Amino acid sequence: MTREITYIEAIAEALGEELERDDDVVLFGEDVEEFGGNFGETAGLHERFGSDRVRNTPLSEIGIAGMALGAAVGGIRPVAELQFADFAATAGDEVFNQIPKQPYVSGGRLSAPLTIFAPSGAGIGAGAQHSQSVHSWIGNVPGWVVVTATTPYDAKGLLKSSIRDDNPVFFLPHKMLSETKGEVPDEEYTLPLGESAVEREGEDVTVVATQVMFHRAKEAAADLDLDVELVNPRTFAPLDTDTIAESVEKTGHLVVVDETVERYGTQGYIANEIVENNFFSLDGPPKTIGVKDVPIPVSPVLEQEVLPSVERIKAGIESVF
Amino acid sequence: MAIDEETSRGFLREMLRIRAFEDEIKTRFQEGEIPGFVHLDYGHEGTHVGMSQAMRDDDWLAVGGARLVGQYVAKGVPLGEVMAELYGKRGGSNKGYGGQMHVSDVDRKLYGHAATIGSGQNPAVGLAFAEEMKGTDNVAVTTIGDGGTSRGSFHTALVFASYWDLPVVFVIENNQWAISTPSSALSPDNLSDYGIPHKMPNESIDGSDVERVYETVSEAIERARNGEGPSVVESRVARLGPHFEGDKQTYRDETEFEEERALKDPVENYRERLLADGVVTEEELDDMLEAIHEEVQEAVEFARDSPDPDPETAYENVYRTPLYGQGEGS
Ligand SMILES: Cc1ncc(C[n+]2csc(CCOP(=O)(O)OP(=O)(O)O)c2C)c(N)n1
Repeated sequence: MTREITYIEAIAEALGEELERDDDVVLFGEDVEEFGGNFGETAGLHERFGSDRVRNTPLSEIGIAGMALGAAVGGIRPVAELQFADFAATAGDEVFNQIPKQPYVSGGRLSAPLTIFAPSGAGIGAGAQHSQSVHSWIGNVPGWVVVTATTPYDAKGLLKSSIRDDNPVFFLPHKMLSETKGEVPDEEYTLPLGESAVEREGEDVTVVATQVMFHRAKEAAADLDLDVELVNPRTFAPLDTDTIAESVEKTGHLVVVDETVERYGTQGYIANEIVENNFFSLDGPPKTIGVKDVPIPVSPVLEQEVLPSVERIKAGIESVF
Repeated sequence: MAIDEETSRGFLREMLRIRAFEDEIKTRFQEGEIPGFVHLDYGHEGTHVGMSQAMRDDDWLAVGGARLVGQYVAKGVPLGEVMAELYGKRGGSNKGYGGQMHVSDVDRKLYGHAATIGSGQNPAVGLAFAEEMKGTDNVAVTTIGDGGTSRGSFHTALVFASYWDLPVVFVIENNQWAISTPSSALSPDNLSDYGIPHKMPNESIDGSDVERVYETVSEAIERARNGEGPSVVESRVARLGPHFEGDKQTYRDETEFEEERALKDPVENYRERLLADGVVTEEELDDMLEAIHEEVQEAVEFARDSPDPDPETAYENVYRTPLYGQGEGS
């Protein structure tokens, strides 16, 4: 049996179920108690689990991320919230140099089973320091598992898996999807990390996309006279290229759409993996579509201009034929 | 420090301007005319005005905390330019690129807010350093909320300012809340105590009293100007509104909130005080309000009439070109 819930409800359920299931799971961050998180993701959890398990922190991402690292090494499973993914940069050393490298430099003696929860993405007119998609930053540092969520189903299943995983996981919901609805099973479930999902089968072209870009690609596909196969990577690092390669083997064409900037973005990496390893599956060069290489502006007109639109995605898909 | 009647009336006028402008912003936001989110300054008007009136036009203000609009206004940015920026229009101070959180105006020595709270203090120290290098006696004043003081960047800024003895005034606007987290949970008795280990002059004052803020910040600026280094001022205010428009404030005790509203409204208190002292009459006040109302309406008209930016301009301003060696300027 399934029911329809919103993306943010799916996240709150995942957090609630994991706190319930495992006493070692602890949730902390700015305003996670009565306030319930900026998007309502932690609503009701403080009331249910109390101040030991659901805790407000002072305003310092260095503290949040660095403590999560220590706490994880020390044997608990923190879910540490950053209010916006952009703030990963305010804990730069922790996020880029410490957390992802400790398991490695310790020769595997330490593990850091923590989850950083950080809403990402543009679309609400919040400006250049509140709207970035950071999975290319984070994915660039080996050691992080980087997970995104595209639907309520993904959000719940992947967040539960992230919390249970023994690696540091950077979990990136998209703030524009908070109120979107979707089917979620009644019974408990998790989704595997490190596996892409084929969300729509097609013969003509493989389109790879997540989050808002996935929904836009789906809309574009519905408008085209082409049989589009849609692949949702779900995990950006490590990336399941096998599923994408199999799809390209079938369709012969590849389009990658993502909300990271095009320069050194994830699009280029994904396309390169296929070009380098599956070149002869391709009937033509792949196409990559992303945010043009600018910070995200505030004005809604400018903001929509720099994000890949349904039209741009359509044109991109058509351009590979 | 005696404050003459003309100055007092100026303080009141500026506070009323901020209040009226923000009331209008609130309505425009509710009507869906302003994108993104909006943080308003209710309760902070006295500290914004007292502080900026203590500054000279060529002193830098590096805006922090999350109460921003009142600071932009107090530093002299025309209301129309601020409003158009909130709308994301071409006539905005930043042509629609920056929005509420990034209004900056180099000509007015306004360094825009960093949307990451607490990232403005080290740049403020740098601004002070630049002034010193250029041999001016200008200073930098930088604001931060109670919440922002938990960040290492804030403490590093204190270390640097005192290490090079730079002309900076750190104003901590403690409104007792960082969204839902109370500042009473932070251990210093006064957040100005953070200046103690750096041996900086530090003082905690009632920031809802505009004159008190004016006097204290004036003294701190005077010291900075005379080469006596940085200071920390805690300006204690009440946040007489939500964190951002739409915040239901479930974490806040309603009775206490109402009490604060009755006791700590800087605009109301000062108006009553000046009326009681005969510094203004009801009539003068009405005239003042009418002029302000007109100015605010003009700002709204300006924002509405201002065109949307041309989508193509989204790609401008990322770099200044040509790059060195590519012709012009090299
Ligand atoms: C580095 C950083 N962390 C978190 C936030 C989200 N945030 C915005 S305002 C705010 C509270 C700020 O509180 P305070 O510094 O006391 O300023 P106030 O809002 O009270 O004026 C928070 C947590 C942010 N903008 N930047």
